[in-house]
Amino acid sequence: MKVHVKAFATFREVMDNEVDMDFPKSATVRTLLAELTGRFGGLGELMFTAPDTLRDFVNILKNGRNIYFLAGMDTPLDDGDVIALFPPVAGG
Amino acid sequence: MAALSKEQKERYRRQISVVGEDGQVKIGQTRLLIAGAGGLGSTAALFAAMAGFGTIRIIDPDCIEETNLNRQLLYREADIGRPKAVTAAKALLAMNSSIDVEPVTAAIGTVPAMDLIGKIDIVIDGLDNYPARFLLADAAWKCGIPFIHGAVEGFYGQVSTIVPTTSPCLRCIIPNPPPPRETPIIGVTTGMIGCVQITEAIKLATGNGVPISDHLWLWDGIRQKSDRLRIERIHACHICGKDGQVPKEERIR
Repeated sequence: MKVHVKAFATFREVMDNEVDMDFPKSATVRTLLAELTGRFGGLGELMFTAPDTLRDFVNILKNGRNIYFLAGMDTPLDDGDVIALFPPVAGG
Repeated sequence: MAALSKEQKERYRRQISVVGEDGQVKIGQTRLLIAGAGGLGSTAALFAAMAGFGTIRIIDPDCIEETNLNRQLLYREADIGRPKAVTAAKALLAMNSSIDVEPVTAAIGTVPAMDLIGKIDIVIDGLDNYPARFLLADAAWKCGIPFIHGAVEGFYGQVSTIVPTTSPCLRCIIPNPPPPRETPIIGVTTGMIGCVQITEAIKLATGNGVPISDHLWLWDGIRQKSDRLRIERIHACHICGKDGQVPKEERIR
């Protein structure tokens, strides 16, 4: 199945702005992140504090829904998903 | 609807041809709370005053420091050490003496939020931390007042116009905020995002256009690109969801 990934803000400094990816049917957001961090050096450090722990400010949307409210990194991927990765900014 | 005076028709002539006389009257009748008088807040407040928003209440606890002057356009070198809210109010009235400006030198959380947003029509978020944003955004949601979220870092910025009760609330948009820290920032970014926020306020006040509602608008000044991310409301959200409160520990990370 095909998944389209969009990256924003500082994530763009270590990875392509948009990436098309292909996964087997059982893939989850965890599978996607493993593939991305393998492909783009520096992304793992930016997104994770430990191998399975995302940094607090990493927001991941699956078709507009934050995985925080779904099944976290176990959220299953579906064909045609648009996954957005963004670190919100805070300053005023 | 009240009519514009001869002076107002002249002062706002160039924008009346954009928003119409009715639109200008509506802007004049709209009361803004500008939360934070820093980079975003001072830009937003200046453009709001120029546009003729009738009342601008501006709150900030701090005094002006030298390091503010790269972006906080209401202040001058001679203002260093002076309270931001009061100094901002003077600058805004110097720009437009026909509006009402209410400075409040206090931090969000030290004044009851309901007092702060009393008689306010739109809240502009110029805050620099998410605990204060959530406090004010929750109160605005409960009172049915639009909250125009803005935030910045470096050459990046974001805006979302939260309109109760149709759009997702701030907690649905940003469930995982970054921790407070001294943010790297350049004046063009606060200028850009503050202007987008007042663009949204003008649209809401006059009924023109489509607000950035149900979306987070992201600006990337380095690549000069902007994107809109659609955000869905979470049914279990304790602020805006139809299913009511779900304890945080039951959510999955």
